[in-house]
Amino acid sequence: MTAPSTPHRHPSADDPRILLDDSIGQFEAIPPYPPRTEREAEFYELGDGEMFINFGPQHPSTHGVLRVVLKINGEQVVDLDPVLGYLHRGVEKLCENSDYHHINSQVDPLEYISSLFCEWSPVMAFERLLDVEVPRRAEYIRVLTGELNRILSHALFMGWMALDLGGLTPILWSFIERDEIAEMLASITGQRLLFNYFRIGGVNGDINHDFMSRLGDWMTRAAAQHEANTQLLNENEIFVRRMRDLGRLDRETALRMAVTGPNLRATGTPYDVRRAHPYSVYPELEFDVPTRGHNGGDCLDRYLLRVDEVKQSLRIIDQCLHNMPDGPVMAKLPRLLRPRPGRAFAAVEGPRGMYATYAISDGSDQPFRMRIHDPSFIALQLVPLLMKDNLVADTMAVMASLDPIMGGVDK
Amino acid sequence: MDRQLRKRLEARFGERLTGPVRQRHDQTEIRIAPSDVPEVMRELHDDPSFDFQLLADLAGVDTGSHMQVVYHLWSATTPDWLRVIADGMPREDPRVPSLTGLWPGAEWMEREAYDMFGIIFEGNRDLRRIYMPPDYTSFPLRKDFYLADDAARSPGGGVRHMEQTHAPAQATERVVRRTVKA
Repeated sequence: MTAPSTPHRHPSADDPRILLDDSIGQFEAIPPYPPRTEREAEFYELGDGEMFINFGPQHPSTHGVLRVVLKINGEQVVDLDPVLGYLHRGVEKLCENSDYHHINSQVDPLEYISSLFCEWSPVMAFERLLDVEVPRRAEYIRVLTGELNRILSHALFMGWMALDLGGLTPILWSFIERDEIAEMLASITGQRLLFNYFRIGGVNGDINHDFMSRLGDWMTRAAAQHEANTQLLNENEIFVRRMRDLGRLDRETALRMAVTGPNLRATGTPYDVRRAHPYSVYPELEFDVPTRGHNGGDCLDRYLLRVDEVKQSLRIIDQCLHNMPDGPVMAKLPRLLRPRPGRAFAAVEGPRGMYATYAISDGSDQPFRMRIHDPSFIALQLVPLLMKDNLVADTMAVMASLDPIMGGVDK
Repeated sequence: MDRQLRKRLEARFGERLTGPVRQRHDQTEIRIAPSDVPEVMRELHDDPSFDFQLLADLAGVDTGSHMQVVYHLWSATTPDWLRVIADGMPREDPRVPSLTGLWPGAEWMEREAYDMFGIIFEGNRDLRRIYMPPDYTSFPLRKDFYLADDAARSPGGGVRHMEQTHAPAQATERVVRRTVKA
């Protein structure tokens, strides 16, 4: 018996002709329509000796799916235009069509590296809509897990930062640290990445033995481990010289660009929502808000600031463990929540800056409007500003130092 | 709640406020006409007694009957968030002056509000869609834009599981464009 004939056989994937004949997967840098805005007209106009280069959307160092159109002159970046939306899922619309308890699982995948903070701000906003008092033990558990999540996120940042500059070793070390914390959080939340742990009025479960033994084990060597990991980079001359004086951001510009979080503090502005607008039990805890900016807010400042923040997070975790009160971890709430009509805004300090939620209730079981403010979205806006007149190879370094996560940028 | 801030705002912006100053929890809320936005914001930013340096958020809102742009500001001079609502834009042609002159960082947030609601920010020099493709024609976060698979609207659909499942005839009625007094 013969095989049926296949008149329209697809060429095999490793047929070299497919690369020559087919234009699949190639992006035209210049859009095929007339410019819609002043800025677009200016950007897509080539000057003498200039050309376009297309980065992404599948470039490995873009921390997600981001496309960047670079306008270059030789090796120098003249201008660049980030093109967003490749990960856009319409989370806000989904939230407006889910009931209040359900929203928790919708906002989780926004910034998949720091899911707890994505949950924290909506949950806080809804608690304000409902006028719910959260038990103190639940607040302490939130702070404890939140700070663990912050260390996890910063550990990954350090690895990625080095990886984007071409250093392979640090990512291996930071993944060890990250995995230990992920396992720890998995033992309390049940999941390693999208924790879905906070609830309106508390948290999903109390601290258990597995979590505590892992945490105690890790805390004995966390500080030393962190020191060792950072020494790998801080004393690496190639790394330091590459980062110094690159992508400088001054205080005034940072504030005008509405930047928050480590990127703002690295310019010398001590703005931290935990202190500037205290929430949860942070007023009871002792910690410093580190700032940097001696080098003029360059990439090295932004890196070193995150190193400092991990130390403060370790301090907070230590205090949480010592001060943790007894009691319930959930407030008593009905299964179907119908807040009175009203508006609420809540902001928390995440590892990338301020996560905020603005929620409007119309008295039904779904929020009428839910706005999610994401710090990565704002930070990414800085890239065209910081990249002017730098080298093409530094694009990834500057972008990595701002630490955007595309899941949050694109919502 | 910062009662002092309320008094200062009333004294300063008196006739420009289109509604009463409201306060709840740690938020103070004022309402102004869209055309007053640049002036009021500049005063809030530049006046050292207000000193609202940080634009914490910019959100578009479709209340079902009209459009709003909601700004949240932060200042070290008050423990409250200040919410400024530019109110009463017609849904057919919502227009508000851009804030990019004061906060260049508002540019992308305004692009997002344009993309999702079709609000025109006059003076923003890069007002194109940011998430949706350039040939897209609708504004997805408007209240008359239903989710493609919104089973609640199909008679007999039971996505709203806790209620209404026994009265499929009302299911379509229930989701007629909601409006809110926001």
